[in-house]
Amino acid sequence: MHVEFLGVSRERAGVAELHVEADTLGRLVAALAAQTPGLAELIVVDRLHPSLAANLNGDRFISDPATPLGDDDRVLILSADVGG
Amino acid sequence: MPFGYHGRYLRIDVSRPSTSLAAALSKVEGRGSVERVPLEETVLRQFIGGSGLGVRLLLDEGTASLDPLDPRAPLIFAFSPLVGSPLTTSAKFAVVSKSPLTDRINDSLASSGFAIAGKSCGCDAFVIVGRAPELSVLIIEDGDVRVEPAAECAGMTCEETGAHYRSRLGVDFRIATIGPAGENGVRYATISHDGRHAGRGGSGAVMGAKNIKAIAVRGTQRPEWADRREVIAISKDLSHRSFGPATAKYRELGTATNLLTFNRFGALPTRNFQSGEFDQAGNLSVEQLTATRSKTRGSCATCTIGCEHIYSVGDGSVRLEYESLFALGSLCGVGDADVVLRAVQRCDELGLDTISTGGTIAFAMECVERGWLEAPWLTFGSGDALLRAIDLIGWREGLGDLLAEGSRRSAVAIGHNSIAIAPQVKGLEIPGYEPRALQTMALGFAVGARGADHNRSGAYEVDFSDKVDRRNVTLEAVRHAIDTEDRAALMDSLILCKFLRGVLEDFHGETAAMLRSVTGWDVTAAELRDTAARIVAAKQEFNRLAGWTPAEDTLPERFLDTPLPNDRSASLSRARLDALVAEYHRQRGW
Repeated sequence: MHVEFLGVSRERAGVAELHVEADTLGRLVAALAAQTPGLAELIVVDRLHPSLAANLNGDRFISDPATPLGDDDRVLILSADVGG
Repeated sequence: MPFGYHGRYLRIDVSRPSTSLAAALSKVEGRGSVERVPLEETVLRQFIGGSGLGVRLLLDEGTASLDPLDPRAPLIFAFSPLVGSPLTTSAKFAVVSKSPLTDRINDSLASSGFAIAGKSCGCDAFVIVGRAPELSVLIIEDGDVRVEPAAECAGMTCEETGAHYRSRLGVDFRIATIGPAGENGVRYATISHDGRHAGRGGSGAVMGAKNIKAIAVRGTQRPEWADRREVIAISKDLSHRSFGPATAKYRELGTATNLLTFNRFGALPTRNFQSGEFDQAGNLSVEQLTATRSKTRGSCATCTIGCEHIYSVGDGSVRLEYESLFALGSLCGVGDADVVLRAVQRCDELGLDTISTGGTIAFAMECVERGWLEAPWLTFGSGDALLRAIDLIGWREGLGDLLAEGSRRSAVAIGHNSIAIAPQVKGLEIPGYEPRALQTMALGFAVGARGADHNRSGAYEVDFSDKVDRRNVTLEAVRHAIDTEDRAALMDSLILCKFLRGVLEDFHGETAAMLRSVTGWDVTAAELRDTAARIVAAKQEFNRLAGWTPAEDTLPERFLDTPLPNDRSASLSRARLDALVAEYHRQRGW
């Protein structure tokens, strides 16, 4: 699936988007830790640091590592605190 | 008296012709132009400081029914027990008054040296009433209070005024000022201090109505802390944690980074809330801004986060926040970053709230588009029009005299049921969160004591989580909205910066520990929960005395029963909003 980075996650990843093979959120996050070293400090095994949030297709926010993902899904990684 | 406080406030009547009131203060305690009024410990414990203490003092003044620009209406600067401690982000003060924009409670916060110097004058708050006979500066130096003519500062910008008094009085004076907008009674004028602003609700107009151009403070009096070792230990730990991931967004990018995120979620208010997507958002992104101009960083006194991102523009520079970027950018359809930066800079110079300025101009642009307002030059996307309108507002010239009243009063004057598209709640222009796409925030806006407000309700956090479906919220969202409102009330009274909230893993437990170490009170997390609810209730009590009715806890017609054009699934029915508001009132006991 496609991963979109917004804000700090984009700065740390160094790219705006990535294509990653993973069938659950936990596997996706673990893959991101391996593929994008800049994000590693914001990932604990298969979970995002609480300062980050994951959203599926711009619709619902997801946090359970077991959340299934499909090939056509887009996962957005953004700051959990979006206020200002 | 508990540690951390002076146990008194100064009540200053600036209408008295005295130029030096020290004698009155020392000889006629409780009378004359300056009163030194004791504060009971029970009041301090119940309302802490900042917004809470300010609202309580405003209620005690018994002036809720007055016109906010009446000389008798108080303007309150309230400090807190944590000010002066090394606790990161604690150098903040609250400005509390009745709002000339909303005719409801207004509490605006600003940061830095003024808070420390003001509290060092030996009091926990200034309550300012009256009207000076001419444009004046109020000088508070330890126990001495003077009012001196300031005619030479008429028409000066905020920054010029601050520099003038630092030069005249000394660099160790901290200066809060109004710009031309405050002098001219613009209903959303700010009070500025060192480039930061008590921005929302028009406290600058209240100060202008008192003929006070600037307040200069300097002092030497610092209250003791109950447990100095514990204060320092907590401060060190908090500072260390404040360098971590929870504040990375603020430190590395600043709040301006929100713009692309909101645009991606279709929640970026655009062209007076006619859309949630802006096709030129990329021009205003942090990445683009940083690539095309120099940038420096700064921070408030005692702050370890350093959220200020200051961009060069023309021969100067400007501190940029998301709210200013959206309000003077996408909301007005302006995608030229240079123009938006100049517009923010001009608002800072004139002393204008950027959100209300952008909201009111965007509203006027749509009225022109619909043929309801005769000002053909004022079109969406026109940078020249935006900059021209800002100057007209600041000086109340031409069309600016109408727009200086804010979008609600302008709508009443324009007619055509334009109030339906005026982007405001209770008269306060809506910040950069599209209510149809973020419906917990929609509730927060509707019930906000000072109107549509992202600083008094952090309900957007709930929308950006797995707790709710942001485009179809249920009554379950209400308790979350209340929780964010209560936390904000507590942070605004302690006072701590909200950018610190992600660092606090046990919010109530940690803040109770801070307060214990400074005051010596045996305060608990449970007590602070009650305190927060009490402060929110006090704001509501002020509003009730000022004429509040449940009917005003709502949103403009634009947002109800009509889907967001760029996202048809983002639709908020009037029935759903009414149900959310009713449940909020029920849970609050109102």
